[in-house]
Amino acid sequence: MSERDRLIDHNYDGIQEYDNPLPRWWVILFWATIVFSVLYWFNLGVGIGPGRIAQYEAEVAAARASAPPPDVSSPDELAAMATNTQVLEAGKQVFVTNCASCHKPDGGGLIGPNLTDNAWIHGGTLAEIHKTVTEGVLAKGMPPWGKLLKPDQIDAVTVYVASLKGTNPPGAKAAEGTVVP
Amino acid sequence: MGEAHGASASTRLDTFQYDDDVVRKFLFATVLWGAVGMLVGVLIAIQMAYPALNFAPYLTFGRLRPLHTNAVIFAFAGNAIFCGIYYSTQRLLKARMFSDGLSKAHFWGWQLIIVAAALTLPLGFTQAKEYAELEWPIDIMIAVVWVIFAINFIGTMVKRRERHIYVAVWFYVASIITVAILHIFNNLSIPAGAFKSYSIYAGVQDAFMQWWYGHNAVAFFLTTPFLGLMYYFMPKAAEGPVFSYKLSILHFWTLVFMYIWAGPHHLHYTSLPEWASTVGMLFSVMLWAPSWGGMINGLLTLRGGWHKVVDDPILKFMVIALTGYGMSTFEGPMLSIKSVNALSHYTDWTIAHAHSGALTWNGFLTFAMIYWLAPRLFQTQLYSKKAAEWHFWIATVGVLLYIVSIYSAGVTQGLMWRAFDETGRLQYPDFVETVARLIPMYWTRVIGGTLYLVGALIFAWNIVMTWRRRPAAYAVHEVQAAPLSPTYVPEPMRPGVDVPATAWGRFVNMTFHRTWERMPILFTVLTTVAVIVASLFEILPTFLIKSNVPTIASVKPYTPLELAGRDLYIREGCFNCHSQMVRPLRFETERYGEYSKPGESVYDHPFLWGSRRIGPDLAREGGLKSNLWHLRHFENPREINARSIMPAYPHLSTNDVDFAGIQRRVDVMVMLGVPYGEGVNNAPEQARAQAQAIGQDLASTGGRTGLESKEVVALIAYLQRLGVDIRAGSAKVASAGGAGGQP
Repeated sequence: MSERDRLIDHNYDGIQEYDNPLPRWWVILFWATIVFSVLYWFNLGVGIGPGRIAQYEAEVAAARASAPPPDVSSPDELAAMATNTQVLEAGKQVFVTNCASCHKPDGGGLIGPNLTDNAWIHGGTLAEIHKTVTEGVLAKGMPPWGKLLKPDQIDAVTVYVASLKGTNPPGAKAAEGTVVP
Repeated sequence: MGEAHGASASTRLDTFQYDDDVVRKFLFATVLWGAVGMLVGVLIAIQMAYPALNFAPYLTFGRLRPLHTNAVIFAFAGNAIFCGIYYSTQRLLKARMFSDGLSKAHFWGWQLIIVAAALTLPLGFTQAKEYAELEWPIDIMIAVVWVIFAINFIGTMVKRRERHIYVAVWFYVASIITVAILHIFNNLSIPAGAFKSYSIYAGVQDAFMQWWYGHNAVAFFLTTPFLGLMYYFMPKAAEGPVFSYKLSILHFWTLVFMYIWAGPHHLHYTSLPEWASTVGMLFSVMLWAPSWGGMINGLLTLRGGWHKVVDDPILKFMVIALTGYGMSTFEGPMLSIKSVNALSHYTDWTIAHAHSGALTWNGFLTFAMIYWLAPRLFQTQLYSKKAAEWHFWIATVGVLLYIVSIYSAGVTQGLMWRAFDETGRLQYPDFVETVARLIPMYWTRVIGGTLYLVGALIFAWNIVMTWRRRPAAYAVHEVQAAPLSPTYVPEPMRPGVDVPATAWGRFVNMTFHRTWERMPILFTVLTTVAVIVASLFEILPTFLIKSNVPTIASVKPYTPLELAGRDLYIREGCFNCHSQMVRPLRFETERYGEYSKPGESVYDHPFLWGSRRIGPDLAREGGLKSNLWHLRHFENPREINARSIMPAYPHLSTNDVDFAGIQRRVDVMVMLGVPYGEGVNNAPEQARAQAQAIGQDLASTGGRTGLESKEVVALIAYLQRLGVDIRAGSAKVASAGGAGGQP
């Protein structure tokens, strides 16, 4: 190109500049981003597109529609697990990782109540423990574990907690709630 | 020397000297604060991998992270900018600085600000706005010193002896004007004590103003001044002409006008109105080409000189600086695209992006500039060229280790947050799992950052040794130049080059711009107008359109105790690691609950939405855990969660709450329009009563007695309130231990 590298005859502290044209690919890139932006604005900016809240709601509805039906173990199934040592061992792992910081590793109670006595604040049957673990008791600071743990983990920890009854660890918290003989 | 554009041959020549003394001062300050800022960076990098290195109360991550960012941005890069501007402006305008007194005041004032920042940030004085953490007395000092700088600079332009101003000076003008506007309007606040203030904006508006400022701090503090420096020092070091004058004009004006709009891309999927988010994204996308204009003009200035790069460490630093600038200004537009941002936001990807730009573009350009300046300012040879080569290679390896590891960390965590398993549940519901996975990458980052610091220390040593070789007295060079004649004698619009005959041709050719270049005051005004007009397009609708922030009846102001707790949350810098903004994305609402609404933060002066989740979001934290859980968690997080990297805050359980001081804080909130109703006059009593209830709850559930007067109770009260109001709007949820009461 004949236009290339023609010096402009000005000089700033010895610095000179060429009169080179804008690189063509650069001009094309600039126009491309401008065209993209205009098109995008008409799609989303002024409301022809769905918008973020509508997108979110659609996403939630689609997930709900495709989610498998909740798989809640029946009291009989839980009772069957209560004698399965593998399940109990798995439950112990879940307990140590997630529950021990409030209920102490031996279940004797710390921030949360003692789980080894026969007094229960929210009911001591397998189904009731299962419900307390899943839904939590926000007013008492018990988080809902239904979202954090998988269904089989909740089952396992439920039967493990029930198995702690009568273990009488040292330094356990005083009994709270109703005594269930 | 001695060219006399626009002056007749008979004009006498002025004889004068440049003020290099102030340039030398800024040079030393750059070297010193660079080492300090990077050292703090390495320390906080280690804290993330090894939390035991947090020393409460003063040296925890939450207080040191702002110290690191402020030190490297305003102390290291700031002094580098001033160093380069004072050196190049005098030479480009053929004039000594307007006033030696103002130059000195600028230098010492800026160092005083830095020292004040270094003291107040560890003490916990902060406005909780990123890169604008410094409290109001320091903000006023910054404004004063900046005005001194502006007067000194504009005064020099007025008394210049060069008719036209060069592109470097355009960039300096834009930076000086815009930083002043950004600083003043983002920091407007009402003091509630010597080092305590509340932003006059709340929630959505405060977030908008903060990221209008925050993004443009990147633009007008870390980009445009450095482009100006590049336009002076690159052709100087490469000893060749600048590639294209036309490209300079076009990329300057597009950059200045478009950068201002881009701020809202920091707030995608938040409660910011979607139109603002979209505008921010689109202007960011359109910024790609203008940014690359600067890179092209720099790199192509090296054409034909590539062989010099092999044995010149200065050019090596410059090439990596410009390449890094090109990479991060491609990545910026990419990250601003909403769907990409949904993955990257709140993760280390943003940190990687910031460092890929800062370590190369700002760091390497500064190193190059100072290696070039040192022999000239100290009037001797550089002490060791070999050490400069070593610095280059060590720092380059450091940058690579840093950004590769932190990119991996960001993408890893982002993908873990959004992963669902086959049953439609979150794959990693326990947040700490997504943190523990990053620890090896954090250690790699520590190695990379340490290498970069080692390079900076070699650099500092090399500069000091060069200084020690200076002559007994610096030679002061006499410069001669003709003063500008009072009347402008027309000269060719583009000397040496044909100018198109038609008006349209001259417009397209950008010949008209030459006229602006000889009127620096008009140039300054035009730049100011470009920046202000672009700002108002977004600011006015954000503040004036009511439907942007639909009110929620159940959202009430914080109780006096909760307000005091919120100030502790700010003091400890919790917002550096915890967001309070649940985005309308399914993986996010599954994890945290209902997405955040604009109406929820109407009383948040300042907003605390956060920008990084090193820990989980807290917007819905209220009522999820018992008071006792929080107490034990503050005293030792690892006792509750072995893999947590949160610092311990034992001092919260021993420091007393300043109950009497709460009244003044409530009063300021009332002044800002927060409806406290009749509670306005007995804030301390209300706070004591709520603290009593929480203290009793702690004692009765197995904590200690006597905590009702301690700071931890106020902070627990605040955390137990988060997200409670919006739940109360739909269903009654009892809150734990007397927290969440109404004022």
